[in-house]
Amino acid sequence: MQYCTACQKAIATIVVMDLTEGSVSGSQHVCAACAEQLGLTPPKQQKFSSEMLEDLLGGLKDSKEQEAKRPPSLESCPGCGMSPNDFRQKGRLGCPRCYEAFRHELMPLLQRIHEAQSHSGRLPCVLPEADAATDDLGPDLTELRQRLEDAVRGELYEEAAQLRDELRRAERGETS
Amino acid sequence: MTAPRGAGGPPEEGPANFRPGAWLQGTGPQSDIAICTRVRLARNLQGFAFAPSLEHEESERLFAYIVDRLKHPGLPEALKIIDLDPIEDLERSMLVERHIISRELASSERRTGVAVDEAESVAIMINEEDHLRTQVFDSGLQPDAVWQRIERLDDALMQRLPMAWSEEFGFLTSCPTNTGTGLRLSVMLHLPGLVWSEEIDKATNVAQKIHLAVRGLYGEGSRALGDFYQVSNQITLGREEGRIREDVMLAVGRIVQWEQEVREALLRGSARMKTLDRVHRALGTLERAQILSSEEALGCLSALRFGVHTGLVDGFDPKNVNRALLLSQPAHLQCYTRESLRSEERDQRRAQLLRELLGCTP
Repeated sequence: MQYCTACQKAIATIVVMDLTEGSVSGSQHVCAACAEQLGLTPPKQQKFSSEMLEDLLGGLKDSKEQEAKRPPSLESCPGCGMSPNDFRQKGRLGCPRCYEAFRHELMPLLQRIHEAQSHSGRLPCVLPEADAATDDLGPDLTELRQRLEDAVRGELYEEAAQLRDELRRAERGETS
Repeated sequence: MTAPRGAGGPPEEGPANFRPGAWLQGTGPQSDIAICTRVRLARNLQGFAFAPSLEHEESERLFAYIVDRLKHPGLPEALKIIDLDPIEDLERSMLVERHIISRELASSERRTGVAVDEAESVAIMINEEDHLRTQVFDSGLQPDAVWQRIERLDDALMQRLPMAWSEEFGFLTSCPTNTGTGLRLSVMLHLPGLVWSEEIDKATNVAQKIHLAVRGLYGEGSRALGDFYQVSNQITLGREEGRIREDVMLAVGRIVQWEQEVREALLRGSARMKTLDRVHRALGTLERAQILSSEEALGCLSALRFGVHTGLVDGFDPKNVNRALLLSQPAHLQCYTRESLRSEERDQRRAQLLRELLGCTP
């Protein structure tokens, strides 16, 4: 049994752990009242919510929820200068980089045309030039994001934190 | 009749231009209904805008680069490069009629060209809507043969040209309708039975239900002249090449079988006399008409082709009927007669040419 580290009076019923890079770096034992005052308690009957996922993802921009909320492209394509309006009118892309520039408009279009949004099938055998192309678009983190989402839903917070860090490293282009 | 009529027509010994390409040979599995199988892959190069957005100078530079890479030894196909820049409109139209280039490429202001093999079974269009549009044709129903051939060629092209692609979207193309595999597999079908028995709409619905496109003789936006239809996939993203092939062949197989059943029905009982009348009227027109429009000629040749393949008329080599289909097209006709003709002159010459080709007495 341990007393609350905040008021030093009541019996601590909640343990708040700090996780860094997946391991416990510190902990705090508090009572329910202090925890509420300090904003440390989760809302009662807490279930998974998209806000919670966003908080956990903390700045990872490409979660499915955020992608849907992302505003339509306003900038022209940095590769060929095609404007979002041009793309909307013609329905054609100006250069390979347009695929990223007009992603927001493109995804529903691909879904309508192909009933799919990602490729399956042949790709060039790995060539030096070809590598450069994938770097532009970033590595495929879909699986990692899905695992993170699953971990949050399953309330496996320690695993989720690990996955979050892994995802951040991958997005920065570091190898784990 | 001993020798097939039409075998002595001029094209065999005429200029090489008059030899129909591989797609019109009239050989291969089920070639009575499936005229040809065509596969094409859309590819673009990294570091360049897609062809429609290219400045003229850039399209020149890209054209020269691609041609240089294509000339590099080691390609699995022996290809001759035709620079379309100095080519006259009539010759461009002939290439369209032969399915070597598209209408879009023929009318493009960009620096364009095509690399084609001797037998006209392989053609790579340069600077069409995509930087490279590789196509392989074969006569009859040959999905596996054309696929294996184009896959080998595509591998070789990817070794020498840095293609634009991503893991997420596959091959990046100018139009999102081609994104992913960039693959279009199409089979040209001759379906007079389904048209005559008014079942064609039901048959094309079968294909459309599984997201396949049904188009006319010259692809997108063209009408189904002479009862010729092209069935092809529309979905290029999210499905592997093998699956796309299976989808197209499933629908094509059903339509071919349907056409066979309808043909049999048209030759039975009371329907037989009507069918016989139809075929012989067409033959009569081909033998006697003095003025024939391109559309009427195609209609008559379609009926003749049906008659030849169902055994209602004999003495015609199917290959010559196919050749007549090509040579009666406007550009080929003018090239054949070696002069530029007004529309009504063309129709007279067409009637004359068809009589000669089919060995009919003038």
